[in-house]
Amino acid sequence: MTWLSNSITGLGLLFLAHACYSAHEHSALHSTSTASISSIVSHGTSAPTVASLPLDISLETIVAVFTVCLGLVLGTPELRPIQWRVWAGKIEREGEKGFMNGDGQTDKDYVGNPFKVLESRPGFIDIRKQRKEFAEWVREGGGTSAAPKS
Amino acid sequence: MLTERELQISPIVHESVVHNTKTLTTLHNLTASLFGVGAGILGLESYLGFLFYLAFSLLTSALVYVFRVLPGSAKDGAGTKRYFRGSMELWTGGLVEGLSGFVLTWTLFYGLVRA
Repeated sequence: MTWLSNSITGLGLLFLAHACYSAHEHSALHSTSTASISSIVSHGTSAPTVASLPLDISLETIVAVFTVCLGLVLGTPELRPIQWRVWAGKIEREGEKGFMNGDGQTDKDYVGNPFKVLESRPGFIDIRKQRKEFAEWVREGGGTSAAPKS
Repeated sequence: MLTERELQISPIVHESVVHNTKTLTTLHNLTASLFGVGAGILGLESYLGFLFYLAFSLLTSALVYVFRVLPGSAKDGAGTKRYFRGSMELWTGGLVEGLSGFVLTWTLFYGLVRA
């Protein structure tokens, strides 16, 4: 998708540069022609008319702006769901694939499964049983040979 | 606005909010300078230029809605609420931030083209 958005943006920028050049040329041409006409007619009071842009240049500008805008929007990274349940569900379902950017790499701020702590925690320890075993071990003399298996 | 109780019931991922806001802000800043170039080439003046900016900013938000919000939220039908805390954040969030960049490139290109 990256090449698509980049090419659309590039095309739009090309159009925009062409429209800018055309508008500049038009205004330059218009000012010189009105200057020569006014010098020929030699009307001292001829106000410089506002150079209204031809329709095709205006249309090209608007189309170019729209095209670049479309390319930029297509180039934005995917939005992420903000609700915790939706977000965590997406990670559970898609894993790293759901958080790739356009180049096929995982985003830098991908934090991984939020439930990993729960899934990899050690089992509950039966502390009373261990204490009983330790007490028996002490009563038997505390020798290293009779160390109970926990 | 969400209340404390609702936030406790359905918590919000802060990193995702930051990511979405950053994406939207970057896009609006970029496109605002682009609209300034367009308005300068067209030679718009005063209210027309700001109307141009308003119209194209709303168009950008609409494009974001179509290409980024709709495909994800089509499944559960949550709409904008899936990615933003309110729908106003999407539609009017970037308007003020991009305005300075817009005026900057607008005046620059107006001067360049009509020099």
